[in-house]
Amino acid sequence: MINSVKYTMDQCVRCMKCVRNCPTSALSRVGNRIVINDERCIGCGHCIQSCTNQGIVAKGSSLEAIKDYDYTVCMVPGALINHCSSAEEAQELFHAIKMLGFDEVIDISDVTARRMKESYLLADDGDDTYISSFCPVINHLIANRYKVLQETILPINYDAEIAAKQIRKRLSDKNVGIFNLCECEAKLAIAKHPNDGDYEIDHALALVDVFPTIRRNLHTGKEEVNFCLEGLQTSNPLRIIAKDDYLIADGFDKICKVLDMAEFGLLNQFKLLILYPCFNGCIGGHLLWGNSFVMKNNIDSLKEVCNKKESDIPFEEFYTEDFWKTTEDKRSFIERTRFFKDVTAQLERLPGYDCSACGMQTCRLMAEEIVKGNKNEKDCRVLNALKEKENDNS
Amino acid sequence: MEVVFHQDYVVERDDYASAGRVSSDIKRTLKKIGFSPKVMRRIAVASYESEINMLIHAWGGDITMDIFDDGTVKLVFKDPGPGIEDIEKALTPGWSTASEKARAMGFGAGMGLPNILRVSDEFDIQSGKDGTTLTLSFRSDV
Repeated sequence: MINSVKYTMDQCVRCMKCVRNCPTSALSRVGNRIVINDERCIGCGHCIQSCTNQGIVAKGSSLEAIKDYDYTVCMVPGALINHCSSAEEAQELFHAIKMLGFDEVIDISDVTARRMKESYLLADDGDDTYISSFCPVINHLIANRYKVLQETILPINYDAEIAAKQIRKRLSDKNVGIFNLCECEAKLAIAKHPNDGDYEIDHALALVDVFPTIRRNLHTGKEEVNFCLEGLQTSNPLRIIAKDDYLIADGFDKICKVLDMAEFGLLNQFKLLILYPCFNGCIGGHLLWGNSFVMKNNIDSLKEVCNKKESDIPFEEFYTEDFWKTTEDKRSFIERTRFFKDVTAQLERLPGYDCSACGMQTCRLMAEEIVKGNKNEKDCRVLNALKEKENDNS
Repeated sequence: MEVVFHQDYVVERDDYASAGRVSSDIKRTLKKIGFSPKVMRRIAVASYESEINMLIHAWGGDITMDIFDDGTVKLVFKDPGPGIEDIEKALTPGWSTASEKARAMGFGAGMGLPNILRVSDEFDIQSGKDGTTLTLSFRSDV
């Protein structure tokens, strides 16, 4: 995953909160700075949320990028629309976003609705418990920590990518720039990057970054809006339309519990797991500024501007096998087993406090580094302190 | 075939609070070593069901895991419980002798042994009045 999580050394006080809070152990301290392992990072934002000094932030593209294109389109996430408490507010919001310099501001809730429907059809027809693939954090978390479940991720692409592809087709005669406004860190990673051009979206914008400008442009005019209700509802775990044999859960700890149980085959009575890592679902995205507890029923006030039917894009456009990609371990089975045993033996020699003072999240990860030869026992501060004490006593 | 990894576990009697602790550790170990997801899934299901069986029907017991150099994983579940009266019945889907207490906690649907049999490559069960020993093997292409 090309990372949207960025570290600023000047702001960092090296408190190690980010290292300790990472659910996939992607962060470590090397020397005086925090290093993020891009392969392990799932874009969940735990590190950003835990940092009290803005040493770690989510970075999207700059609005300056608009100048690189003759024609620009901005896609607005359903989660943000859910934050509007009236049709008028949504109309003003769309106008304010357009004022950022876009030629078109587009709602994609019709694509979202269709995406959801296709997911349901696939899950209902299958003979397993499937996992909805709408959230990049879930897909990366499974690839990282729950490989057992990777093949149960539904092979359906992100709604914004599908919508972007359609926009590009429609405007193929223009030098078009497609921007996606993002409500969370993870979605910022879904865009073209210098080393990874495999996306239809050209630039991902962090909502928090553009919010000050959007705010200044509010109440200066209105743009016509029309949404698809079923699509908007998918951003909210309390309002998503689902069946009895679908399991819906939100919040990171809860979804980990669900995935743990699914690995043991304890959720076989469910056809589909719809998992939102963010508390309150996408409307609780970290880059939104509103209060998701208050916003959760806003959708009822938007019904008058929800007259759009779900999209009729052909199914092939939704299909992707990207979420099943795995990285191969080049070591042989015997080498891997020996490494595991060596690490377990080394772990016995470490204090087991998981204090992170050495720079690694846990003693186990430290043991791995020692076995690899990257660190040695002298790098463990607790062991050093214990030895010093021993020397003082003798 | 040579054992390249061995681990012993104990399941304490009536320790429902720790239900699944051993199978979670087995799963973690196999993930760390890097087994293929398909075989891990089968082992996860079988080890969890077997561990819970020891808790519900017996009075805890011992679990051992051996990993062989060809990637075969062998699990042995040995309990000193009352034994299974009729093994054939116990292997019938839906048939259960679980206590009310166990059912109230969501266990005892009568799918335990049938599921274990379905997902394992080798399945052996020996049972008498001194207890039950379940031996399972899983082959993996490594």
